[in-house]
Amino acid sequence: MRPILLQGHERALTQIKYNRDGDIIFSTAKDQHICAWFAHNGERLGTYHGHQGALWTVDVDPTSTLIASGAADNTVRLWEIRSGKCLKVWEFNTAVKRVEFNEDGSQLLAVTEKRMGFLGTIEVMDINLDPEAEQSDEKVLTITCEESKATVAGWSYLSKYIIAGHEDGTVSQYDAKTGEQLDNTQIHEPDMPITDLQWSADRTYFITASKDKTAKLINAQDLEVMKTYVADTPLNSASITPKKDFVILGGGQDAMGVTQTDARQGKFEARFYHKVFAEEIGRVRGHFGPLNSVAVDPTGKSYASGGEDGYVRVHQFDKGYFDFTYEVERQAKAQGQM
Amino acid sequence: EDADRGASADLAVVEHRRRLLDEWLAWRAQIEEEVATEREARGLPLDPIEGLVKKTDEEEDQVIE
Repeated sequence: MRPILLQGHERALTQIKYNRDGDIIFSTAKDQHICAWFAHNGERLGTYHGHQGALWTVDVDPTSTLIASGAADNTVRLWEIRSGKCLKVWEFNTAVKRVEFNEDGSQLLAVTEKRMGFLGTIEVMDINLDPEAEQSDEKVLTITCEESKATVAGWSYLSKYIIAGHEDGTVSQYDAKTGEQLDNTQIHEPDMPITDLQWSADRTYFITASKDKTAKLINAQDLEVMKTYVADTPLNSASITPKKDFVILGGGQDAMGVTQTDARQGKFEARFYHKVFAEEIGRVRGHFGPLNSVAVDPTGKSYASGGEDGYVRVHQFDKGYFDFTYEVERQAKAQGQM
Repeated sequence: EDADRGASADLAVVEHRRRLLDEWLAWRAQIEEEVATEREARGLPLDPIEGLVKKTDEEEDQVIE
């Protein structure tokens, strides 16, 4: 798996997203612009300028027409991918740490930071996927996080639930129509922030990453923890691979932590685990700092990691990756179970 | 004797994995059916983006998970 290095950001990467077809990668960093890249050769397709602060988050709608971004300038912006035009700016009281479109791109959620007397919130806006259309100013739903601010959030299958991961290591399930909190469960170690939440293809389950050095696979219906992946370093990101039953975790001790504890290595590797058996399969080195975001091509051909070092590394999966199976998987396949 | 012990340990690991895989596949079958039924009941297409993507020549190449 020889990586392609994407050089275009001058600061730490914050989030990476593939579009549904897996041919375009979007990346955000603290350097105030969004980059779009071709996944197969790493060529830069474009940049999106306008935000006045560090960018924290980006998402692409399911039709690959629009992207949404959130930043430290307290705004969410909506952009036309093709033209690079900014179509809409929504303002908030504090920084926007996470945005996500629902499964049909009809709504967008934004997670806002807790600061200066404002509680953290999850806000929902209606989206019109036609780039010529007028976008509504209105926030159709506001969920206020009274207990612990949300750090990440997303939409389940059928846009039925909004699921949020919190700073205190809990996960909440909200009714996505009314905003009513249906459940809140201590999933990770108390007061260990949840740093990422990514969905399975059908949004019936998701993976969370935490500073408690674990990632967990969780059922969106009842918040049951189905699997736990144990790492030896704080995690910033986790992603579920299609085609193969793997998960990829990224993290690493930050510079300060390394000097205090283990100076030899910050453990800046992407870790592969078997999704069902929860056993570690392999690691991919390369970054010079913690991995802040990992993302997998929805068509299963590649994955990308974004580092504190300012680089995005794209890895095309090779034959060995696809051939790797456990004996019980081969047997299940032979018996037509898989 | 050591080899036997190793072999039975291996067998236990394999049996454990088999159980995990069976559990997983059973859950997947159940949840997929449940969600399909719920989509139908709500009058929604099985693929959430059906009708959103314009028909193009590449349509045949598209893999829908």
